[in-house]
Amino acid sequence: MSKVSIDSVVKALRKSVWVFHLNSGSCNGCDIEVLDALTPFFDVERFGIKLVASPRHADVILFTGPVTREVLPKVIKALRAMPRPRMVLAIGSCAVGGGIWYDSYSVIGGFPKLKKILMEEGIIIDRVAFVPGCPARPEAIIYGILVLLGVMKPKSKKEVVTIE
Amino acid sequence: MKFLKLFVVAKKAGTVTRKYPFEEPLITEEFRGEIKIDPEKCIGCGACTLICPPNALTMRDEGNVRLIRYFVGRCIFCGMCAEVCPTNAIAITKEFELATLDTDDLLRDLLHKRVKCRICGRPFLTTKLIKYANKDIPGSDNYADVCPECRSKLSIKNILKYRGDLDV
Repeated sequence: MSKVSIDSVVKALRKSVWVFHLNSGSCNGCDIEVLDALTPFFDVERFGIKLVASPRHADVILFTGPVTREVLPKVIKALRAMPRPRMVLAIGSCAVGGGIWYDSYSVIGGFPKLKKILMEEGIIIDRVAFVPGCPARPEAIIYGILVLLGVMKPKSKKEVVTIE
Repeated sequence: MKFLKLFVVAKKAGTVTRKYPFEEPLITEEFRGEIKIDPEKCIGCGACTLICPPNALTMRDEGNVRLIRYFVGRCIFCGMCAEVCPTNAIAITKEFELATLDTDDLLRDLLHKRVKCRICGRPFLTTKLIKYANKDIPGSDNYADVCPECRSKLSIKNILKYRGDLDV
């Protein structure tokens, strides 16, 4: 079997992606911003992005929240139901780094930590884009989707400054 | 034929859709985005790391350097760090296009050099913080480059010397 690179698959996906909204214990701030991005005001349907009701139909998961312990089995179930390539857009501070609950006992602490659990479960996530913001602006979500699909190049880079 | 009224309403409202990636984003005056630490003004006191609610700003001492790390991915953009900064080194920018494919791209590091103690040789504070302290408290130069432990020993020694209890 020949190896297919993720980039070529994403290129094929670029025609029109369907998204599924997955809330893993978010405060609803990011969820409202996701809805705002879907409404005619910011209108992500310009890019062919459409909200679907099942992860089985989805190409991208809009992931919000810090992954509480209660919701963890359901999140794993939803991500397993998704067809390959699995692409995830982690939206908001909670999904990116755990947010204000990063060291709480009742949360896993964001998508990077969940990814390790998913690896143990045998679920491969092909590509993740992180969208910081508390909540992330609808524009930031649109920018994040475009970064995820490779239309735009990410701007932010790691900065190290040494001071005498 | 009632539905035709909709055309009148739609024409009055016009097109509301933002053409975001191709035009300027809707950003108000009060919007708070990523913070920017001015490396020339920052003294490495760590006041911002104490006030930060989600610990997006962290401080760590490693040998000769003091690392002040800002992880944008955990920041809640409250702006409390900018309020508490004694030298106004932290500015709130309007940057929100921070999406990346790797969380390492969301790190902003500041490395401060630490001063070594004159007596025991252990590093303790940053160079700029000592300069900042000396500016406000005149006459503190004698104890400025001495670490807190050595400082207490030195001051007791000096008091005893003054009283004549110690023969040095």
